[in-house]
Amino acid sequence: MTGRAPRARWAARLGSALIVATLAGCAQLVPQTIALRTGWPKGVPQTVELRNVPFFPQKEYECGPAALATVLASSGVAVTPDPLVKEVYLPARHGSLQLEMLAAARRYGRVSYQLAPRYDDLLRELAAGNPVVVLQEIGLFPGLPDWHYAVVNGFDYPSGTVYLRSGTDPRQKMPFTYFERTWMKSNYWAMVATPPDRIPATATEDGWLRALIAFSRTEQGEPLTRGYEAALRRWPDNVAAAVGLANQYHAHGAIAQSVKVLRQAHERHPDSVVVLNNLAQALSDEGRQHEALALIDKIGNRPTPFAAQVNSTRQLILQRLAQQKTGSR
Amino acid sequence: MRTTMKKMTCRALIVSLLALSFTTAKAGMIGADQVAAGSPASQRTMVLSVLNRADTAAQLQAQGIDPTLARERVASMSDQEVQALAQDMQTAPAGASLDAAGWLAVVVVAGLIWYFAMRR
Repeated sequence: MTGRAPRARWAARLGSALIVATLAGCAQLVPQTIALRTGWPKGVPQTVELRNVPFFPQKEYECGPAALATVLASSGVAVTPDPLVKEVYLPARHGSLQLEMLAAARRYGRVSYQLAPRYDDLLRELAAGNPVVVLQEIGLFPGLPDWHYAVVNGFDYPSGTVYLRSGTDPRQKMPFTYFERTWMKSNYWAMVATPPDRIPATATEDGWLRALIAFSRTEQGEPLTRGYEAALRRWPDNVAAAVGLANQYHAHGAIAQSVKVLRQAHERHPDSVVVLNNLAQALSDEGRQHEALALIDKIGNRPTPFAAQVNSTRQLILQRLAQQKTGSR
Repeated sequence: MRTTMKKMTCRALIVSLLALSFTTAKAGMIGADQVAAGSPASQRTMVLSVLNRADTAAQLQAQGIDPTLARERVASMSDQEVQALAQDMQTAPAGASLDAAGWLAVVVVAGLIWYFAMRR
């Protein structure tokens, strides 16, 4: 009789310990789905489905090209998976690498942006109308990973469903929890591809500028200019955006516009050596050598990693000044 | 095998050195990429970037990509991306389904399990 009460207490303790362990286990299994219960992202509706996202059924191993074509076509690019195969597919690996997915979107005039590894960000992009490419591990056997790209185009939180365009299924439904299990193994890898003047909802200032600069490797024309314009409108204090925009204007012969952007940047960042140098250069190209010289001399002897460029700009201005004098004589 | 590999690498190197463009600013304007990096692209980093690119392009070729295509694919990556890819091309997961060999292995393993479990 005496042993009974302690035994019951032990059982209760053991039971609660088990419950705690199981809960902890759940949190470990799908930490972000659990977190959504208490912290649903602000301003995001509980149900979103982007029905206009096209569907390209994949052929054999070509889920990468199919997923990429889906987001590109959804953003207005006329493309199908077939031409993308030779741009992202690796025959020896029977698949496509994430970095190549990011790089390939740029060749179609879209800026690719890798999302932060969070459910929140995925949901916010969908709410903003951007379908998201995700990398999942859908292998049935442990030790035999089966990587798969799919496009998330919606969700319904009340029923706990994520909607995907995946493989040969135009409207795959996956529970939030199961989706997280497949997605977490790629460290929640996700990307969007948007026109350069359409900044993704979750883009950070640094991240987006880095994405634009990567975009500038393949695109130096008008789309890049629009990209920098939009970035500067969103983050007026960003030096890289101002310099990028001014350089675009300058490269396309719009020197006056370039000067205007750089003057505004100079007002905001009077100490930026790059802005001073580029403004002096642009003014000199406009024929205003004295003003240019006064600006470049503001840099003086202060230590800067750009000393060599500053010096050559100064030499160029002096040379042009000398030419002016001999010319006017 | 090794000579073809070498030949391909050399070809990739030459093609890359000749044709990969540097996106440094023209006419005395310092580029936005250098603002973001906080320092000018030194000749050293440019050479390293070219070598990285050639290396990555060669690795892509080794995985069955046509040389010119490999170069184009690498050309639209940022320097950081090229570096990351050069390091883990072999280990990075590639989105793909199980290939025939993978399925064969699964079937064989399942068959063995069945055989040993049911034998008695």
